[in-house]
Amino acid sequence: MTGFVDFYTEADTFLHRMDPRVKIVAVLLLSLLAFILTNLLYLLVLLAFIMLLVYLSRATFSRTMFALKFVLRLMVLIVVLWPLFDRSGTPVLASLGPISISEPAIWRGIASAVRVGCLASVWYILMFTTSQRDLVRALVKLGLRFDFGLALSISLRFFPTFLATIESITDAQRARGLDLERRGLIKRSRNYVAVLVPAVVSALKTADTLSLALESRAYGARPDRTYLRQIRMRPSDYVAFAGVVAMLAIPAVARFVFLVDI
Amino acid sequence: MTSSPRKSEFVSPRTVALYGTLTALTAAITMATFVPFAPTKGYFNIGDSMVFFSAITFGLRTGAICGGIGSAAADILLGSGYFAPYTLVAKGLEGLVSGAVSRRKIDKLWRTALAIGCGGACMVATYFFSELLILNVGFGAAALEAVGNTIQVIVGGTIGALLSYYVQKSYPTIARQ
Repeated sequence: MTGFVDFYTEADTFLHRMDPRVKIVAVLLLSLLAFILTNLLYLLVLLAFIMLLVYLSRATFSRTMFALKFVLRLMVLIVVLWPLFDRSGTPVLASLGPISISEPAIWRGIASAVRVGCLASVWYILMFTTSQRDLVRALVKLGLRFDFGLALSISLRFFPTFLATIESITDAQRARGLDLERRGLIKRSRNYVAVLVPAVVSALKTADTLSLALESRAYGARPDRTYLRQIRMRPSDYVAFAGVVAMLAIPAVARFVFLVDI
Repeated sequence: MTSSPRKSEFVSPRTVALYGTLTALTAAITMATFVPFAPTKGYFNIGDSMVFFSAITFGLRTGAICGGIGSAAADILLGSGYFAPYTLVAKGLEGLVSGAVSRRKIDKLWRTALAIGCGGACMVATYFFSELLILNVGFGAAALEAVGNTIQVIVGGTIGALLSYYVQKSYPTIARQ
């Protein structure tokens, strides 16, 4: 199996202690910041800042590399392909028939790749430092209806279970001679139907049982629900929140009010 | 929290359980059938089959919620987190549109094909334009991804339709959900 079931790394850093709502807002604001910045230098500074936070979140090296595996590939792809489709600007470095490569296009390609890198890595600060339970609770606090929050919790809870179910169904069907190693993409995908039908039926049966369990625990008996652990904003959370807002507001004002090229 | 919803406004326990399990299943199938293939997002999978299955079997609301959230969660867990917001919209739209079309009162085969076609087109277009205009990856990378996504819709759509047919056959009580 490729991938992780949960990225959360248990630790006690300031990022772990921060209110999950602040972290969600911070990720959104830092993403916006990546769109506001156009200068390669500032984008690199932002990327360095995000990488510093990822480092401070004490995620293991293998997890960080896994999280960035695809985006590194995409960044290379952007740098290579960008100049081929962006023909504006001088000086032209090389031209072959309809294709011409200019120097500003190469820099724009690199800047765009760094921006995508920022957008990709900023997510993992949240994922590395917030447990799924806190994440759902924060979303409910931010205004998500709690029944949908509950559905989200259920799905996060059952996700590893279903992965294991699919794996054991795959093994059982293989033992009966199902071929999933065939080369062709279409043929191989078609063969997955034999795995998916039992998986879906087993999931629907789980849903049936689960709805009985929910009802027996008086789901919906009260208009609101109570939590054992409440999340509260502490003074340090307000400071962090103000810091992130300032980080977005200052470049935004500089660019849109004072029309500084950043 | 603002005004708390009254009891009658809650979705039923059955629906909560169904949403939860289908979302988890969508994410699990996306991860279990993962093949590194498409250039930008980084992988090919048949998670779309679950989006189409939920939409065709249970309607547009389930399709949109389970498809969108399940696929976005899989994106995050597979290491393409930066794609999650676009996936949420693209796959949600795919489920919504194919769910809406599959409720039209026309011949069943046509209805299913049309549902997959329309839903898939929405998904491919959403990814293409969000990559081109928001993520700004350049035309080349976005076009490469659109080709991969189209193949994914064709494969996922076929499997989703087959799945809907076989599951309804082997688990008939599904209709009362």
